[in-house]
Amino acid sequence: MSADLNAPAHPTDAPEAPNRTSVPNPREPDSPAALAAPAAVAHASDRGARIAAVAIALAWHVAIALPAVLSARAEFAAPAVVLGAWILVAVTGAVAGVRLLQGSPLPPWPLAGLLLVVDAAVFAAAGERQLFTAANWVWGTLGWFFVLAVWGRRVVGLIALLGTHALIALVAVLGHGPDPADVARYVMYVYGTFSLPVAVFVGSTVIVGLARERAGVSAAGHAMAAERDAAERGLRERRDRLALVSSAAGRVLGDLAAGQADPDDPEVQRRCMLAAARLRRLIAESDDVPDPLLHELRAAADLAERNGLPIDLVTIGTPPPLPVEVRRRLADPLTGTLADARGWARLTVVSGADEVVVSLVTPDREGPESTGPPPGEHDDGLVQYLYERDGNIRWAQTRWRR
Amino acid sequence: MGADPVAAVTGDRPVGVAIVDDHPVVVEGVRAWLATEPRLTVLATGDDPDAVLRAAPDADVVLLDLRLHGRMALDKLAELSAAGRRVVVYSEHTDPQTMLAALDAGAVAFLAKHEGREHCVETVLAAASDRPYVPPALAGAMVGDPRPDRPMLSDKEREALLLWFQSMSKASVARRMQISEHTVKQYVDRARIKYTRAGRPAATKAALLARAIEDGLVRPEEIGIYRSQATHDRPTP
Repeated sequence: MSADLNAPAHPTDAPEAPNRTSVPNPREPDSPAALAAPAAVAHASDRGARIAAVAIALAWHVAIALPAVLSARAEFAAPAVVLGAWILVAVTGAVAGVRLLQGSPLPPWPLAGLLLVVDAAVFAAAGERQLFTAANWVWGTLGWFFVLAVWGRRVVGLIALLGTHALIALVAVLGHGPDPADVARYVMYVYGTFSLPVAVFVGSTVIVGLARERAGVSAAGHAMAAERDAAERGLRERRDRLALVSSAAGRVLGDLAAGQADPDDPEVQRRCMLAAARLRRLIAESDDVPDPLLHELRAAADLAERNGLPIDLVTIGTPPPLPVEVRRRLADPLTGTLADARGWARLTVVSGADEVVVSLVTPDREGPESTGPPPGEHDDGLVQYLYERDGNIRWAQTRWRR
Repeated sequence: MGADPVAAVTGDRPVGVAIVDDHPVVVEGVRAWLATEPRLTVLATGDDPDAVLRAAPDADVVLLDLRLHGRMALDKLAELSAAGRRVVVYSEHTDPQTMLAALDAGAVAFLAKHEGREHCVETVLAAASDRPYVPPALAGAMVGDPRPDRPMLSDKEREALLLWFQSMSKASVARRMQISEHTVKQYVDRARIKYTRAGRPAATKAALLARAIEDGLVRPEEIGIYRSQATHDRPTP
């Protein structure tokens, strides 16, 4: 007769069981991974740009500057200085590139200072005839190493370095006698050395920013979707349970109306109690997205109810976000006691900003203690636990205070 | 109003009760509950408060279902309470906000429909003599009241409310707190009396407070400044 309420055997219960375990706890504190996602996307995007910048700088230095230096080495004013500077920048640039890719860049300003000294030395050592040739490699290469030196900083630093580079070049050009053709060439070269590195530098910064923003928006969207999902699942689950309760309650009422069930029959009374308790609990659930603690307690109450125990779960207030450990210690002793409960049970949760008290009251009966912790009062520093039986009721209570 | 609704009910005649509910089956159920208590008599029932009170102008207590024809009857509750009607609200809507709103509007007590016969009879009897009765559901709403302007309760009052809400047994609360059952009831009732200050003043609140002072449950200074209308509304017996 009561198989319809002793749920496991009943077919309408079937969809409920899998749902129970699959409803996520939606208000878990955000995991570090979820919070770091936008930063990780930005980091990946930035890493791509770094690789490109290091590759451009080293490739230019080796593939274009080196052959030109070697072929013109006899025509420099001081070949050893030009060649030595090339080697110095190649080594320093390689180290700076590797360190940049590893995420521990060399200190920018000493590196920039070194590059500027090299700049001045090469201009002085190149000589008038090689001033505007590819053999004067600082024109083409140095801008890219500036980019590596001040990577990730504001663009004004790069512009200042390139400006100093332009000044050094101007002094060199004018030092060889002010020729209008040289000045025109100088302007062209300066434009050439400025434009590309600045474009790459600014471009990469913008792309990283956009990637970070887009990843942030997408993460927020995912979080919202997850919350909506949990709410929809909660709603669906509640609808399923309403259907289940309605059919069970309807059957009892139908039996009573048809005279097939006797209101004096304890079994019929128990069925009525169960159906009423379930309806009450459904009506009392007012939260859209269940709090993790209430979710756990509800799951325990549902389990007890499926075993035929009429149970009231009354919640007052919403618990503040609690560490998992506190939540566990609040809920576990009571769910353990609930497993042994007979007759009826009343589970209450009263929550404020600084206090959460969970209580389970069941009728006392002969027999050994329940499987919960021993009687009396215990305090483990996190949660106070109290259990007693007075012949009338068994009363377990857990209490957390901030 | 023809009756002097706040006049104390004398012990000679039974307490007249009016039941307002839009579900006939509930009306019949409550009537059956109250019929078990000889000190109570149901004078009129119906789904329209005005019509019911026209039929029973001398009703001492009105049992009002808060949800009538799909609408929350809080305005009607406030109107009746302001006029001095002792209204006991009973509802299946037991969320704390609704219960506290009913107290604010002047309800003498709030009873959850599932709380059963005993609480129903107790509440109506207490209401008729302007004495507080706090069923467990209402105790829960009071102890979890999150409003910043909520009445200040003492630690003992809070604990008594909390344990009463949890256990629904004053004997068990008394054992737990190591005090007498009478003292438990006092703590709970004192907390309820402090709620007569919440919301706007109503004749029913003044009557509750006046009776509490008369009974020695609270001293006027414990309640704080309160523009007592009690002295005007009810002459001392």
